[in-house]
Amino acid sequence: MIGDAFVFDGVAHPFNFEEGNAYGPPGQMFSNHLYAFHAALTPPTEPVMPSAEWLHKWSIDEIGEMIYDHSDTDMLVAMPLPLTDLFRDGLSPWQECARLAQRDPDRTILWGTVNPLEGKKALDDVTRQVEEYGAKAFKFYNVRYEDNGPVPWRMDDKQVAFPVFERIRDLGINLIGVHKGVPLGPQPIEYTQTWDMDGAAANFPDINFVIFHVGLPFIDETCWQLIRYPNLFASLAASLNFIVRAPRQFAEVLGKLLFWCGEDKIVYGSEAPLWQPQWALRAFWNFQIPDDMCAGYGYPQLTDQAKKKILGENLLRLHGMDVDATVTRLGRKPAHS
Amino acid sequence: MPDVDPVIARALRGVFDPCCRDKGISVVDMGLLHRAQVEDGVAHVDLLLTSGWCPFAARVLTDVEAAVAALPEVDTADVRVVWDEPWDASRLSEDARSKLRFMPAPAQVADREAFITSKLMRQEASR
Repeated sequence: MIGDAFVFDGVAHPFNFEEGNAYGPPGQMFSNHLYAFHAALTPPTEPVMPSAEWLHKWSIDEIGEMIYDHSDTDMLVAMPLPLTDLFRDGLSPWQECARLAQRDPDRTILWGTVNPLEGKKALDDVTRQVEEYGAKAFKFYNVRYEDNGPVPWRMDDKQVAFPVFERIRDLGINLIGVHKGVPLGPQPIEYTQTWDMDGAAANFPDINFVIFHVGLPFIDETCWQLIRYPNLFASLAASLNFIVRAPRQFAEVLGKLLFWCGEDKIVYGSEAPLWQPQWALRAFWNFQIPDDMCAGYGYPQLTDQAKKKILGENLLRLHGMDVDATVTRLGRKPAHS
Repeated sequence: MPDVDPVIARALRGVFDPCCRDKGISVVDMGLLHRAQVEDGVAHVDLLLTSGWCPFAARVLTDVEAAVAALPEVDTADVRVVWDEPWDASRLSEDARSKLRFMPAPAQVADREAFITSKLMRQEASR
């Protein structure tokens, strides 16, 4: 916990940047973009790893230690990447995430992932990941890059997406995340925009959808969608990491979300090991929207109550977990400096 | 924009923010141009991005560099992104502002619920 806030980290990836895992230049470009985020947004007071050191196969112990031993994080989502178009194992294979979840089974939750373009195989994989590995939610990526070209799909596609959502729902799961905004590598921007979330949210009102990265840079569009659909939520994962390098830019994003969507619809994610979680957690816990932005633009202030909801309580509720019972079950971890 | 050479600004009115190309909004109208000066044949151009996640940063830099380098008084162009100053909507030109204000600043909304209801009704009516 940081202060008296329970911290539930919505995303960490055990990346495999091992040489040979990337399929040629598109995969290498994707890896290099990720490293650039690490180097560009890590604050000057924190260590930046050299690229040769950072671009390695991250073990589950490295991720677990980064999250639980070196930050105030109480729970974690082990989040796979299904980028089998760019990397031989998808970059962060779900099997490795299952191992990460098994490392700390009381604290780490597995989200599954499949490629809906694979049809029946995708449906079978959903079932397997839930029934055999205990996946509690799923995360999707709409853009794939195959045969030297983009192969996108949409979240409102009745043939591609809806059968997968139906299978997930049939298995008793009501939580789905999707990467939006922030295209990496040779991905077309159109399919990282959020337009297709209307159709997904409207057709599956009993499923809660989390728009990762708050759809940046399309924040106004994301806000208007979150206003209209009670089952849409926004994750600050990666967007939060502008908090030290560009605090006013972050304040503008957060101010818009707080005013239009409210503090109940925003969740936290560290994106470890892109960044060590603790500096961003500490910065967020101490963060205030600048007074001139509250006065001039009318943004609400970020209260302690809002921080607690964003850092953990909202994501606990999305997983159907009681906040007080979970805090009692796990106890208070000693705070880090 | 006191630090912007008007010749460079004029050249960049033909370079579009890729997110707004369909609306015909240039990088100048978007307020991305922070500084632009020519010294001894070298054009120094500093840009602000609307978002740190601007997916087109590389393309904007390339397009701006090409447009500036094409000027007769410019031998080479040095185009950079400024990270320590945030872009905000006050940098939009009036024309861009009229085309883009998707959600108003909260301070301009007297009654949030009434605004949302009104916008929803307009949206329904336009279908």
